[in-house]
Amino acid sequence: MSSPLWKRGVRGDFVEIFKSIGVRGPMEFYIKVLEITCLHTILVLGAYLMTGLTGLFSLGQGGFVSIGAYTASIAYLHFNVPFPMAILMAVLMGSAVGFLIGIPTLRLHRDYFLLVTFGFGEMIRAALLHLAQLTGGALGIAGIPKLVDLPMILISILFITFLIYNLKRSRFGRNCIAIRDDELAASLMGINVYSHKMKVFILSSAITSYGGALYAFLIMFIEPNLFNWLESAKLIIITFVGGVNSITGAIIASVVYYSFGEFFRFVDVWRDVLLALAVLFVTIFRPGGIFGSWELSPTKLFSWRAKKG
Amino acid sequence: MEVLKAISISKNFGGVSAVDQFAMVQRENEITGIIGPNGAGKTTVFNLITGVYPLDTGEIWFYGKNITGLPSHRITDLGITRTFQNIRLFRNLNVLDNLRVAYGIKVRYTVWEEMIRWPRVKREEGETEELARSYLAYFGLEKYGDMFPYNLPYGLQRRLELARALMANPKLLLLDEPAAGLNPKEIHQLIETLLKMKEEKNLSIIIVEHHMELVMNICKMLYVLNFGKKIAEGEPKDIQRNEAVLQAYLGDEG
Repeated sequence: MSSPLWKRGVRGDFVEIFKSIGVRGPMEFYIKVLEITCLHTILVLGAYLMTGLTGLFSLGQGGFVSIGAYTASIAYLHFNVPFPMAILMAVLMGSAVGFLIGIPTLRLHRDYFLLVTFGFGEMIRAALLHLAQLTGGALGIAGIPKLVDLPMILISILFITFLIYNLKRSRFGRNCIAIRDDELAASLMGINVYSHKMKVFILSSAITSYGGALYAFLIMFIEPNLFNWLESAKLIIITFVGGVNSITGAIIASVVYYSFGEFFRFVDVWRDVLLALAVLFVTIFRPGGIFGSWELSPTKLFSWRAKKG
Repeated sequence: MEVLKAISISKNFGGVSAVDQFAMVQRENEITGIIGPNGAGKTTVFNLITGVYPLDTGEIWFYGKNITGLPSHRITDLGITRTFQNIRLFRNLNVLDNLRVAYGIKVRYTVWEEMIRWPRVKREEGETEELARSYLAYFGLEKYGDMFPYNLPYGLQRRLELARALMANPKLLLLDEPAAGLNPKEIHQLIETLLKMKEEKNLSIIIVEHHMELVMNICKMLYVLNFGKKIAEGEPKDIQRNEAVLQAYLGDEG
């Protein structure tokens, strides 16, 4: 533990991790890392819709992850709801809570909205701790079967990206950006700002609780501290580093950040320092995020390949 | 026909009376001017008409419909759009998308259709783009569709804002100092464009403006505000000779 950074071999470190998470070989480890990474990408997509596209800074995303995870696990374990139905229930629950939280908070502006969503996230955490009969309190819920695998997560990412990309390139996305840029001008261009923010909030909550539900059936154990406000803040930071106007940027930044963390465990505590530095450099030299507003689209990909070939 | 009718509208800001018992009538296919010294409450009148601020007293009627207290987006939907004194374009949307945003109220597809790119979305997006491009051409901006608005020269930004306001297909257009920051040549172009627009699109226009030449040339009726109060109304040639107006502009000694 106290050996200097440069003496700690990557290989030795990996073996340690293998043991700790009970995997047998490197392949299994890589898949595990990929699963966790891709799952976080789903959460980043939820945050992208809200913070990146619409400019709503929410520190309550973690609350929705927990709502999704707990709803699905409790439905599955205690009420014998089939797995797909449990996921669906988690999404519906997330959307419903999103709607209820949205009614008072969406009238607030930037910093106030941030504070209230922060409070909401912590409220969910406290509620999960104290509703011990249902949630197991601080002990959490163990014994959730692993029903989620990599292909399932990847298909989810593709599907969610498809939805968000479609929204971004038509009226919905334009309205989001217009609201982010100038709320007053947006409402004078005929956009119902409040109801549009509500749609964004509900959709983002649905995606995030979907991610949370999958998360529970991936890591097989959940507890109230699973997703605190720091994790919510990371989602926002990743969105910003990747590029506020770019889904591509958000996805790539998310994959890099979460897998970087796993593959470079040997940098240890320096991981967060590196992230902080990266954020600092990006905000100074590329205020629009690494990818700015560049977007990888099927047509671009196609024309690029055609040019090459 | 009366397009807009404001009945003794007032607005106070913390005891300061920004607009005091102002009344006006806008007739169809006419251009009306609201003039007055700085801080006279001209822009506040626009903000009251478009629902940015709630009225303290009075009523506003639009084509025989009471629009008092309606939210801004509903008022836009009914057919009143505006431009701003300090340009307010959407900086993260390109020129074409700035126009497309304004057409959002006319588009009929739903969010669900949007998500899966239903054929109707594609079709209406195509129509929107075609319309946006025709407005770009109308204002001589067709080359700049892919650029971001704040990279354009100031005069073009003003034109883009005008194009965006038209894109929402208004019946009444409110222009807040459209000539501010423009050079004489551009002002001349603006006058021509406004007159052309008025005829071709059967528009009614209200202009808040300092530039007297522009106002005197194209307005049929003028309202003069000073310290929130209407001090005169009438045709431009009468206003030019009005004692109270001269006093407000030149001071008591004048």
